[in-house]
Amino acid sequence: MRTVDTVSIHGANLSRRAVLSGGGALFVSLGAAPSLALAASANSLDPAKPASWIEIRQDDTILMRTGKCDFGQSSIFTAYRQIVAEELSVPVEKVTTVISGDTDTTPDGGGTFGLLRGAQNLRKAAAYTREAILELGAQKFGVARSSMTVSDGIVSGGDKTESYGKLVAGQDLHLTIPVRGDLTSFFGLQVTGDPPLKPTTAYTIVGQPVKNPILRTKISGEAVWVGDVKLPGMLHARMVHPTTLGSKLISAGKLDPSKFPKAQVVVIGNLVGVLSEDEWEAIKAARAVAADTKWSEWKGLPGHQKLYDHLREKVNWEELPATKGAMQGNVTTAPTAAKTHQASYFFPYMKHAPISPTVSLADVKSDGTVTLHTHSQNPQFLRSSIAKMLGKPESAVVIRTYPGASHFGRSNGGNAGSEDEAVLLSRSVGKPVRVQWMRPDDMQWSTSSPTSTSKINIGLDAQGKMQTYQADHYGPPMQDDRLIGAVLAGLPTIGAPTPDNGNGLQKLSLNVADRWVYDVVTNVAEQGHPTYQIGQRESPLAIGLRDHSMRTPIQFQQNFPREVAISEAAALAGRDPIEFRLDHVKSERFKTILSRLRKESGWETRSSPSPKARATGAEVVRGQGVSIMLRDQGYWACAAHVAVTPDSGQVKVERITIVMDLGIVVNPLQLKRQVEAGCLFGVGQALHEEAAFDEGAITSVNWRSYPILTMQETPEVRVVIAARPEIGEYGQGSESANALAAPAIAAAFFDATGKPIRRIPLKPEYVKSMLSA
Amino acid sequence: MVTLNLNGTQKQLKSSPDTPLLYVLRNELGVMTPKFGCGLAQCGACSVLVDGKEIRSCVTPISALEGKKVTTVEGLPARWSELRKMSLNSAEQTLHPVQQAWIEEQVPQCGICQFGMMIKVTELLESNPSPTDAEIKAALTTSGPSPHLCRCASYVAILEGTHRAAKIMAEATK
Repeated sequence: MRTVDTVSIHGANLSRRAVLSGGGALFVSLGAAPSLALAASANSLDPAKPASWIEIRQDDTILMRTGKCDFGQSSIFTAYRQIVAEELSVPVEKVTTVISGDTDTTPDGGGTFGLLRGAQNLRKAAAYTREAILELGAQKFGVARSSMTVSDGIVSGGDKTESYGKLVAGQDLHLTIPVRGDLTSFFGLQVTGDPPLKPTTAYTIVGQPVKNPILRTKISGEAVWVGDVKLPGMLHARMVHPTTLGSKLISAGKLDPSKFPKAQVVVIGNLVGVLSEDEWEAIKAARAVAADTKWSEWKGLPGHQKLYDHLREKVNWEELPATKGAMQGNVTTAPTAAKTHQASYFFPYMKHAPISPTVSLADVKSDGTVTLHTHSQNPQFLRSSIAKMLGKPESAVVIRTYPGASHFGRSNGGNAGSEDEAVLLSRSVGKPVRVQWMRPDDMQWSTSSPTSTSKINIGLDAQGKMQTYQADHYGPPMQDDRLIGAVLAGLPTIGAPTPDNGNGLQKLSLNVADRWVYDVVTNVAEQGHPTYQIGQRESPLAIGLRDHSMRTPIQFQQNFPREVAISEAAALAGRDPIEFRLDHVKSERFKTILSRLRKESGWETRSSPSPKARATGAEVVRGQGVSIMLRDQGYWACAAHVAVTPDSGQVKVERITIVMDLGIVVNPLQLKRQVEAGCLFGVGQALHEEAAFDEGAITSVNWRSYPILTMQETPEVRVVIAARPEIGEYGQGSESANALAAPAIAAAFFDATGKPIRRIPLKPEYVKSMLSA
Repeated sequence: MVTLNLNGTQKQLKSSPDTPLLYVLRNELGVMTPKFGCGLAQCGACSVLVDGKEIRSCVTPISALEGKKVTTVEGLPARWSELRKMSLNSAEQTLHPVQQAWIEEQVPQCGICQFGMMIKVTELLESNPSPTDAEIKAALTTSGPSPHLCRCASYVAILEGTHRAAKIMAEATK
């Protein structure tokens, strides 16, 4: 056996650094350029060092590090393992360890939303690793690499075979893979080069319904969730947040020590926390302090009932530059349309509303080092935010992540709320502090999914074909990742969204996020018009209504008006809405799923409204509606069947059918569950969800004032996976599913009643006033 | 001092009697499956069984539970072993049928509401061993102080998980 050598494996470097008396492994790491290595925080796992990403061990097991945190969609424990096992040609059970999301033990991985970018990374990393295994086998057996094969964790060549584990035993082997990108950026690093990828026709693991191995630990009660972490000497804290989104502290309430002997109040600027070793005492004491705390008054919001008018009449949309989306032909010089559809649409603020409010535990030591136990989609960005707040280097901060309640994008820029407050309180009292937000804190002091309004103008030619499509979308931006505790305390944090804010995604602009799909239309003009966050400039604390991406961000806000308008245009043309879409898409993938949707959903081919449509009466009327979306290489189509009771304004969704072509489907079982749930989340958004607010504060404070879908309302759900592995791409998981329901439901409402509805949610009060208008 | 039976074991509680059971379970007794969701009995994340009936531990002071039998998800295998007269050890290996079904059907998305869901479904199946879809939906929506909410909206999976659990229980009692 050769003992020291470096071999190029399709551009990656394989080296043997030592022969060991025991142990041995092949470590797969990323070759980061020196500038990137400098950009890395000193205490994040150096991706250029061994033990990053993938490790093949002498006992034939494989360790995988993802840099991603478990957010319940199981992908890091199922899809990621399957992709690595597939490219390596090992049984999936051999991938035994998946280390996720702690900043000191995994490479930086970008946000969880980048999962499938991560999957392509892992696929390539595993492919390089397999090629390295082939090389090691070739060296050992003394045969050409090209004559070697791998299967089931065994490498074969000539007439010899060896397991991967035996091949690496007793050696310190390193494979360094080429990458590009910025280690600390939102999107992390990308693996480059072109290692040979296994043909999808040879797949035996990708495409299988592998179960999530960590579910047992959750179901049995063994798993430690973020709210379960305890440290010796820990104090429980509850926050006393301002009464409005612009109120300053006048005086903090006093505690009666005879009633609350173990409690204390900590005040830092406008930040007020109440702490006790006894959690129930902390809750009661915080209530008492809140009742006795004085805040300045502030009014600077339009109120949710006037929001639509505010957006249309009060905002100066000329203040900031627009962003262009699809632009083709010329909408202004196109021939005069035979018929036009022109309408405005509205999308309210919504809340991420995790079932458990956000909770964090911080331990700030006397030497200034911080360990923060939390649940974050982007631990690396959180680390940098906390360091900035404290004026410390990132090396002083370690983020540990745990399972928690899904919050659907709220922490993809690092924080979800409570993390910074726990750190500041712990620093102040010199003990570990656990901050649990109560339900109203989580509704009122978290970010919201931004509102939006759109003007759509469609021109039909004499044959009823769309000849022009013009969309202007208006709204605040989608990303404010400021630490709210730091803002209240008057400590450094990144700036609020402005046109020149270069941090993360905080730049104030409004992209056209809904991919244009009706390629047959010759004249198209789409624009996004941004404005400042509502109330932020009026708030003395620069807070106001803070926005944040949530499931299919901005694309949902823009796809809803587009798809409802397309269904209305189809009605104007006298065409069935599925047929009308088939007439205007060129993509064969869309044509295939739309045709499939017609069969699977029990669709009646005819124009809308239904011949039985009625906008009055106590009897139920029924309708059907459709929507489509293209997102991250995923082609989606949805049909909704609804029942409307005009007199009561009740809308019941009876059936939802989704057909999707995502190219390669890694795990049909997990995908089906994700899509069923994501789609129902969207049904709840369509029927119920709107964040209410008055002139100073969010007034949706609990599940009564912010209702979500219940079990009773669950319609029949049909999910049809139309996989196309030959496409060779991974389309995305459940995120698109949640946005599809609303436009299909609104179109079905139009079909049922003959009255278009151009806003969500379809609450009885809105429905009644619209039907009687 | 309040005394109650937790998952088969007598416990004398040190916490003050007005403390809601949720905080006593989590902080004094180290029983962590009941989760804090709202503190308002509006979501069901903190549900436990008291003498076989589902209650919201976030609003139930321990003073109301003197001498009662409290079951959390940690105690479901023991509850099943007692019902089935099987060894506790083997019940802990296999888990309660509702837990088994939740794994087989891959019910959870994030999973934090599922402890309350499993408690409610256990209550349902103990009184109605083969519920219809409508009965399951009613149990999880209108039978208690509030609907049991799942923000991930895993309701289809919960429905299928409940039917699967009913089947496992029926087969075990044949």
